[in-house]
Amino acid sequence: MSKVITLKAFFEEARAGRLTGIRCGRCGELAIPPKEFCPACQERAWEPVPLGGHGTIASFTVIRVPPRGRAAEAPYAVAVVRLDEGVSLLGRIVDIPLDALKLGLPVRFRPLVHDNQTVVGFGPAV
Amino acid sequence: MRRVAVVGVGVTKFGKHERSSAELFAEAARDAIQDAGVSPRAIQAIYFGNVVGGEAERQLHMGPQAASVLGIPAVPTTRFETACATSHAAFRHAVMEVAAGVSDVLLVGGAERVLNLPTDSATEYFAFASDAAFEQPAGLTFAGVFALMARAHMAKYGTTEEQMAHVAVKNHRHGVLNPKAQFQKEITLEQVLASPKIADPLKLYDCCPFTDGAAAVVLASEEVARKSRKPIWILGSAAASDSMCLHDKKDLSRILATERAAQAAYRLAGRGPEDVDVVELHDCFTIAEIMATEGLGFFEPGTGGIAAEKGWTSLGGKLPVNPSGGLKAKGHPIGATGAAQIAEIVTQLRGEAGPRQVDGARVGLVHTLGGNAATVLVSLLGSE
Ligand SMILES: [Zn+2]
Repeated sequence: MSKVITLKAFFEEARAGRLTGIRCGRCGELAIPPKEFCPACQERAWEPVPLGGHGTIASFTVIRVPPRGRAAEAPYAVAVVRLDEGVSLLGRIVDIPLDALKLGLPVRFRPLVHDNQTVVGFGPAV
Repeated sequence: MRRVAVVGVGVTKFGKHERSSAELFAEAARDAIQDAGVSPRAIQAIYFGNVVGGEAERQLHMGPQAASVLGIPAVPTTRFETACATSHAAFRHAVMEVAAGVSDVLLVGGAERVLNLPTDSATEYFAFASDAAFEQPAGLTFAGVFALMARAHMAKYGTTEEQMAHVAVKNHRHGVLNPKAQFQKEITLEQVLASPKIADPLKLYDCCPFTDGAAAVVLASEEVARKSRKPIWILGSAAASDSMCLHDKKDLSRILATERAAQAAYRLAGRGPEDVDVVELHDCFTIAEIMATEGLGFFEPGTGGIAAEKGWTSLGGKLPVNPSGGLKAKGHPIGATGAAQIAEIVTQLRGEAGPRQVDGARVGLVHTLGGNAATVLVSLLGSE
């Protein structure tokens, strides 16, 4: 048995403040949906697992030349966050001064909305 | 499988053009066909690369468009798209068609036109090649993708912004020697380091430009190639992928697709990194060149920055990298880049690169990366 978490389901939950990962029942690989087979062992035995949303910055950048339609937001930071459960998630940093950003900084998941689309965000940990 | 050779190359001037991608491709293809010394009617198929034609030129289905402008409209065409690795992917598939004995003479290449667009639109369309669920909504750009990898590489190995700047200075120095290059001017380390930030830690001069241009090569079977002027042989051509979204990649300080494609290409060619005399690799950003020289096995992980700083990758150094000026100075018309890199290596192995010639080059390597490092192609070419 394997439960597929679609992007739609992932982001509907995320908009309500809940992050969902998937764990492989064979090898224990933890991943961000959507995936059919496990990229580590190619088994199909996913179980959804709730993710707490706490993590630390694994890498970040400050976007100063943004794509069309984002000029009013720039400069802004995007980070890859290592969640406490051991899986990474990419998102927009909010409410943290750009000059306070550093690798290892604790952050916490927060849903954002852009053009009516749910966006993964991370704000201060506290 | 049959041996396959490149028998003709053509590249337009890179920069801004007031012509469609199809017109640009036709110019490069005309030069490649004439260089090959074959009739246009010898071409049995066109493997064509273009990435953002739908957005930038309102033109999909660009393969037959290009064939029509070239004047061989009956020839079958297929458009390839693997982001910035597009025409190298087309090349690999064309090599397989000739190797398999299906065709004897094929035309391969690509074209891109984006300088008709405002910068923010071009930035948006290029970002379509990143993940649409997580990366694009967060406002990530391609400079941002490589900035995230740069910071991971800096943290793990101590790579510095100055070492990255050395890559830009070197490739601009090479670009001066290439009349087709978009930029033919030297820049200083100080200029790079003082240039405006684009996506920290990457600055303007760490980034390749937006470019219009096209490139094409003619491939031939051994029997046909033996009658040509200076055939350059494909020793091995391989492709590899990695997870698409950056958060699925296991280590941001490495490009696994490069390592996988390189290992496969070396195995096919029966050669190793120590056999390579000259390299054209994918320096879309300065950190990308540093990481590529490591992933291709030329330098130990974490020492690519040192190699750049010490001048080992400069013309006259122990392993000249990007004698054409690379994407940084030659320019990066994304659908054409792979074919242009192949054309440069062919020119080098023919000994016809003039002031940027790597003396005695006999084996060359081409590395092209697509999108957020999710696609990589590596080909080895040889004069024998
Ligand atoms: Zn598994």
